[in-house]
Amino acid sequence: MKRPAFDWHVVVRRLPLGVALGATAFALVWVLFWAPKTNFGPAIHSPSAFLLTLLDSVTLAGLLFIVASGFSLIFGLMRVVNMAHGSFLLLGGYIAYEMQQWMTNGGGLTVFSSQVSAWEWIVPAIVAAAAIACLGLGVQQLFLRWTMGQDLRQALITIAISVIVADQIIAHFPLESTVEKGSAVNTSWPGSIDRLVNLHVAGVQYSLAKLSMLALGVGVGIALWLWLYRTKTGMIIRAGVDDRQMTSALGLNVQVTFAIAFAVGAALAALGGAVFASYAGVNPTTDGQWLLYSLVVVIVGGLGSIFGTVAGSLLFGLVYNFSVAYLPTTGNNCCGQYPIVFTFALLAFVLAFRPHGIFGRPA
Amino acid sequence: MRRLNVRKWRLLLPLAALAVASAAIAASSFGATSKVIRLAIMSDCKGAFAGGYELDLGGAQAALAQYAGGKPTNRAKPSDGMTGIKIGGHPVKIVGYGCGNDTVPLAISETKRLMEQLNADVMIGPLSGDEAVAIAHYAQKHPKKTFIIGTAGSQDPTLQIAPKNMFRYHGDGAQWNAGAGVIAYKRLHWRKAAIIMDDYSFGWTSAAGLISDFCGVGGKITKRVFPPLNTTDYAPYIRQLPGPNQVDGYFWVVGGTGTGPSLKAYEQAYGRVDPKKFVGNLFFFFQSGFADVAPRLIGAYYGGFGNAPGLKTRQARQYESTVKKWYGPAKFNVTDSFVYNYYNAAHALVIGLARSKGAVGAKLQAALPRKIRTGYQVSNHGVVKLDSNRQAITDQYPQQIVKGPDGKPAAKVVGFVPSVAQSFGGIFKKTSPPPGRKQPPCVKHKFPWQGHIRAVVNGKITNKIIG
Amino acid sequence: MKALAVDKSFVERAIGATALVLVALGPLIFRGYFAHTILTQTFWLGIAAASLIFLSAYGGMISLAQTALYGIAAFALGNLVGRGEVKGLHLGYSPWLSVVLAIAITTALGLVFGAVASRSTGIYFLMITLTYAVIVFYFVGQTPLLGGFSGVSGLQDYTPGIVGNPVAHPNRLYYIALVTAVGVYVAIRYVVRTPFGISLMGIRDDPVRMGSLGYNAALHRTLAFTFAAFIASLAGILFGWWNGVVAPDHVGLSATVDLLIVAVIGGLGRIEGAWLGAFTFVVINNYVRGFGFLNNHFFTSLGLDASHFATYIGVIFLLIVLVSPDGLIGLWDRLWSLARRQGGAARSAAAAAGATAPRG
Repeated sequence: MKRPAFDWHVVVRRLPLGVALGATAFALVWVLFWAPKTNFGPAIHSPSAFLLTLLDSVTLAGLLFIVASGFSLIFGLMRVVNMAHGSFLLLGGYIAYEMQQWMTNGGGLTVFSSQVSAWEWIVPAIVAAAAIACLGLGVQQLFLRWTMGQDLRQALITIAISVIVADQIIAHFPLESTVEKGSAVNTSWPGSIDRLVNLHVAGVQYSLAKLSMLALGVGVGIALWLWLYRTKTGMIIRAGVDDRQMTSALGLNVQVTFAIAFAVGAALAALGGAVFASYAGVNPTTDGQWLLYSLVVVIVGGLGSIFGTVAGSLLFGLVYNFSVAYLPTTGNNCCGQYPIVFTFALLAFVLAFRPHGIFGRPA
Repeated sequence: MRRLNVRKWRLLLPLAALAVASAAIAASSFGATSKVIRLAIMSDCKGAFAGGYELDLGGAQAALAQYAGGKPTNRAKPSDGMTGIKIGGHPVKIVGYGCGNDTVPLAISETKRLMEQLNADVMIGPLSGDEAVAIAHYAQKHPKKTFIIGTAGSQDPTLQIAPKNMFRYHGDGAQWNAGAGVIAYKRLHWRKAAIIMDDYSFGWTSAAGLISDFCGVGGKITKRVFPPLNTTDYAPYIRQLPGPNQVDGYFWVVGGTGTGPSLKAYEQAYGRVDPKKFVGNLFFFFQSGFADVAPRLIGAYYGGFGNAPGLKTRQARQYESTVKKWYGPAKFNVTDSFVYNYYNAAHALVIGLARSKGAVGAKLQAALPRKIRTGYQVSNHGVVKLDSNRQAITDQYPQQIVKGPDGKPAAKVVGFVPSVAQSFGGIFKKTSPPPGRKQPPCVKHKFPWQGHIRAVVNGKITNKIIG
Repeated sequence: MKALAVDKSFVERAIGATALVLVALGPLIFRGYFAHTILTQTFWLGIAAASLIFLSAYGGMISLAQTALYGIAAFALGNLVGRGEVKGLHLGYSPWLSVVLAIAITTALGLVFGAVASRSTGIYFLMITLTYAVIVFYFVGQTPLLGGFSGVSGLQDYTPGIVGNPVAHPNRLYYIALVTAVGVYVAIRYVVRTPFGISLMGIRDDPVRMGSLGYNAALHRTLAFTFAAFIASLAGILFGWWNGVVAPDHVGLSATVDLLIVAVIGGLGRIEGAWLGAFTFVVINNYVRGFGFLNNHFFTSLGLDASHFATYIGVIFLLIVLVSPDGLIGLWDRLWSLARRQGGAARSAAAAAGATAPRG
């Protein structure tokens, strides 16, 4: 039988990938050389704006990674979609705020970073992470341990918990009586890093605090990698991700490992909350926003994979910042909806040719 | 066979219980249809403005106590209720407090609960602008019910929608900012400014007040940036603003939960904020802004909230002592507009019901006063007038954040702008385009209060003209 | 001894018929607020929940995008039909045309959403649909052209003749919603018996085997999702007429979770659960707020006063998920089989022991 000269099946299968690559190439050309009617013009005209946007994207990706890695870890190992991840982040942010206020005698008011030492930032972050690790452990032991294997039921349980936690945060935080319950709060970066540094490239000055945030994200990534790939517990976790039944059949204590992994995942959410409280501030709508961000990052990057989370964070950070910076800003009906439309486009592109995310594996 | 009957009975039991329960619920919401006037007070007990709940109720109930014989159940907590309200011999019952969260869905469902399930005749409220827009549409469809707005700052309810049964005895978001733009030009010597505003109707309305004034005396807005509401990361939007060496200052109209994050994003791009280069709106100081934002902006000016804390007039002192008399133990700030606006709304209601002799509906709407004496009004012998859309024309007081004696931020009135109307010097009409991204344009314009804005020093309105 | 004469499905049909008669006479028996706010809301919310339960029960897919879809229908309707000073596009199309277009737009979007998500299953599908929901929320909130943050209003002013003015004549909307709900129920029961429905259930149970038999799983899921989007759009239209206003918060994260709670309370396994769950949710949501006895110091300091009804709903939801994950209907099913087993055991005990009085 003669083979047809042109195989349509191949074309259809490769179409989404082709479209995605074509769109990426077009976007690069647009940003670097063309970008008409935009705020800055193309990169060749204003390289500083391009560099600043690129740095904003990468530093945001650092923060996204910290938060999303916790989510990805919990899912990768236990197949639990922790819908309460955003609530853990929010509670972590409020706890970090209360701790910093207590240490600096803030009286409920925003403190200036000049009054905050590095210690007064680090300790609140650690306390927040530890507190939420305990909460996560409690949730895991009470509700998730005996519902193993029932993915949907566990997702529903975590949704219920997120509703309750979110409502209770509004009832009790901030603790100071001078501030209204449910108010937005923020923590300050330590004074030593809350300043601009000259990068000596294209005359760009950048916030050292944001660069530290990126460094923290990288540090968390390295620490996670070392933990998962160089320690015994990490090895058990990876084995559990690959084949849970076999791992427990081999006599390894899967239950303890699950508990540890959930606690670590929750702690990462809280750490992200403490960082975000300094980056922007937290308020009662923050939990929903960060749940969305975590979801997009891990869907795009792939669940259960550190590299996937890195890829997802970078892509999301880039899409967010570049869509605001490099799309036309003239006209009455522009701009506001760009980031969200492009986020959806990113999601659609990736899912069209990799339904489990870029680095993901089927369940 | 006996078992079978028992089982049938068991099965029918839940059904019967369900039917009985439904009937009970339905019946329990039967209100007594007597001659009692039924009042509902709508506020926010959750969401961004949850802190306003006790203040709103306290303000309204203080007026009811003072003018209608109401007796607070608990002088430390207004939400515990009030009894004994009588106007012209007709008893008034507060049938319920609405608990919104600044969103439209809850506003509508609470309004339905109050006006339909609990059968209220009059509503005082709501608290927020978006809620008021939704309730204005509701009011249009229920002409027999009367609505007196609480503290909402959106323009639509009394301009674009303007139902005949809706009244507002205070200014809207644009009116609240009258004078701040002139102060930026005359006192801070700004000539070129950029403005960043929430990309939705309250943001545009509030910004319109600042832009019109500033451009009206000759200032120029060189750039407008519109981050969407609910933005988490303001960094890319801050990048669109010109740097601090390219403009004399920034008008900051990002509000609610966005004020703090946007300022932080600015600091992480350009360094510490210089309060002399930032002029904002009420969100610099009120609600969350007090702890989150104001400490960083000591010395910054902002459009007010329609109130005048520290104003030393007899009328102001009378108002403040009246509220303290009834709800002093509740320890809230009586100069806060949440208290002030609800107080005036309730006061107006008492006057209206007295004139209509207890009748509600259209008779009450005809009887509600078109002129009322309020605490912080000075022009027109201290009387606020309503325009043809039942919207107040009031004095406005631009304010400045200062450090209070206890080290906490405090609000200081610095200016007095007489008789600001919603039309804002003629630029807002029902037929003209509503505030938007490019609306109003930056043009020189003569406002009625230009040349009449007086400086306020230590609570006294001086004769010194700011601009 | 004869087998149980009382048949479970007979009892259920009897209950259903009684309920139907009660609601058919609703406006006459019940007070206006109860009928038009509680019951009409139950009807359209139940339709939305039915779209979710259809996908979960027969497709094995839990979709959190149904709220967004019914919201899109309402937004589309508002933008198409509104005129004059109403926010949004206010295109001023005729009411019937707008209804048809709104349904068409929502169904088309459902097709796109479904196609993108169709190759993902289980928990991945849940997460992707949740992402859709939040994206739609941000999109409608941040696009002032379509109404923006305060939403679109005027939906009650431009209704088709048969609906009339829902404020002046709420009974008409009541019956239209009731008829639509019954129609949706019948349609779903019919669809699941067609070859499409049966192969959908097969794909739910064993996609690999069905794939090897030549069935295109992704296509079936996409079409099921499209059908569910169509049902959700009906709910959206009714919601628009009932509420008069649609704002971004009607499709936000909490509204999405609320619909899931409705479906879970009712029961994700059976379509009847949709309306049972909707009724329960609406009643709790509405009446807890009026529980003044909760507003004392004790409850407030625990964060449990009447304003925190979200906590109560969250706790009830949690209890149902822990105790009876297939909802109230699942509870009903299990009580039946428990009673049947007890009855059977007692029968054989009685037969064995003679004339001992049976339990139960």
